[in-house]
Amino acid sequence: MAEKLRIWVAVKHGIDVGLARADRATGLVRVDSAPRKTSDFDKNAIEEAVRVREHHGGVVTAVSVGGPAAREALREAVAIGADEAILVTGEHWAEWDTRAVARLLAAATRKLGGFDLFLLGEGSTDHFAGLVGPRIAGELKCGDIAYARRLTIVPDGVVVERDLEKEVEVVHARYPVVVSVGQEINTPRLPTFMANLKASKKEVRVTGPSDLDVPADSLAPVVVIERVAVPEIPRKQQAITGANPDELAAHLRDALKEEGVLP
Amino acid sequence: MNGERVLCVSEEPDLAVALVHLARSIVGEGAGSVLAVVLPGSPSEVTERLAAGGADGIHVLEGAASSDPHVVAEALSALVSDLAPTLILMGSTKRGREIAGRLAGTLDLPATTGVTGLRLEADGIRVDREALSGNAVAVERIVRRPAIVAVMSGVAAPPAAPSASTERSSHPMPATVPLTDRMEGRPKAGGQLEIEKAERIVTIGRGLQKKEDLSIVEALAKALRAEVGCTRPLAAEAGWLTDDHWIGLTGHRVHPKLYVAIGVSGAVQHLVGMRSSRVVVAINKDPNAPIFAQADYRVTGDLYQVVPALTKALGG
Repeated sequence: MAEKLRIWVAVKHGIDVGLARADRATGLVRVDSAPRKTSDFDKNAIEEAVRVREHHGGVVTAVSVGGPAAREALREAVAIGADEAILVTGEHWAEWDTRAVARLLAAATRKLGGFDLFLLGEGSTDHFAGLVGPRIAGELKCGDIAYARRLTIVPDGVVVERDLEKEVEVVHARYPVVVSVGQEINTPRLPTFMANLKASKKEVRVTGPSDLDVPADSLAPVVVIERVAVPEIPRKQQAITGANPDELAAHLRDALKEEGVLP
Repeated sequence: MNGERVLCVSEEPDLAVALVHLARSIVGEGAGSVLAVVLPGSPSEVTERLAAGGADGIHVLEGAASSDPHVVAEALSALVSDLAPTLILMGSTKRGREIAGRLAGTLDLPATTGVTGLRLEADGIRVDREALSGNAVAVERIVRRPAIVAVMSGVAAPPAAPSASTERSSHPMPATVPLTDRMEGRPKAGGQLEIEKAERIVTIGRGLQKKEDLSIVEALAKALRAEVGCTRPLAAEAGWLTDDHWIGLTGHRVHPKLYVAIGVSGAVQHLVGMRSSRVVVAINKDPNAPIFAQADYRVTGDLYQVVPALTKALGG
């Protein structure tokens, strides 16, 4: 570990799942034109990074791989408290798959100073593959701990409580370590007006594959998303009303009886 | 497709067997090779189940069980070099996804997770996977081999006949120095309820004002002979109910005959957990709650009035 704790946090500017709409005729989501926002769990990662710095000192570097609009995710990270912002971008950013993103993030940390603690969301809101963190760690041969619900800094590294299907596992790792976090780890702060204003003026360092010594052809996608469709489940959307709660309840009971779903 | 060599690995015995069935159905009876890995610490009967399920080769990793993703990925990486699979099937559990990513990063392989369907086609492997927090299905094409595909539990493949001959071999775990140390494992509180199996579910959300008021919901559940479900804030934040009641992306996915959502706003991460329900009732005082778009029967009203009245109407 360097003198100051080097904390990196990766943020994805992904599809806003709440606003993405499927085309009525085809059921397909236009992925390229869907509204985007900072991935939910990445906000928890930013908050955790800033909390670690507040208690233990260090520098928080936010990094995003994406197109020009990913600056918005970086602005949000700075507003929450990140010290530095790096945008990794390139001509073909829209084609980059999880492998390409992980390679670029790993290369960015190698080229731009290294890290002790690398935080990110345990999955992105739009893709939720959960691959980027472990991929980076696999490539860099450092420890990784996914699904963190609590993170404690200890003298030589971190102790993490991670949420698995059937148990809560407590794991220790020395630096450098990649930790992916879930929504339960904290509640991200809402930046103040001033923090937002300052963040929008913060300079973003822009870099790309050639600066990071990643050959462009090694980023060609190996997993291609061909289509995203929303399965349409028709719902009756029938309003149940009544002059008073009892009458309403009787109407609902009758409807459910008709459906044949009552015991 | 006879050159296919599918390597199957999961720490969950049932899923490991299901992966072998799936692999067999992909490569065909008597064609290709279905190879299964038995991780250290697996129950001893797994080997027999994998053989009965159609594995042509069973590779037992011998040594101490490890929870460190690096150690497990290094062991699998050595097996991948030895066995030269064309496809690696893993379970899309939390550990499974973690190992899949780590192995993919170590060997620079294509990988995808959350897979619900898989087809070998002339121009690559096509998979169906969940997208947009589980609210959509994406079709992905994997253009390079070998590839890692992590499959959700519950992906059905017909049980396969045992292979004509199953070869067994053991491999020592490599002497990899772990990068993380497990200090403790605590079983989760609760965890007894199998809400996926419920025919009827009454789910309560943030509309509930205090824990004591759960009794109102429990009374309705009793009258409906339903299980009680909840949204993320009630389980993960307030702790009013244990995680086995939690329905949603990181909770449980359910498909009951009747789903009654009470005081549930309908965050996308919740909707993925309940969208396969047959009949959905939503009770909410906010007429603009997103849950109403997913409902067959919409009740705009105060749960504190509507729920007791409904319980009474049902004879509870």
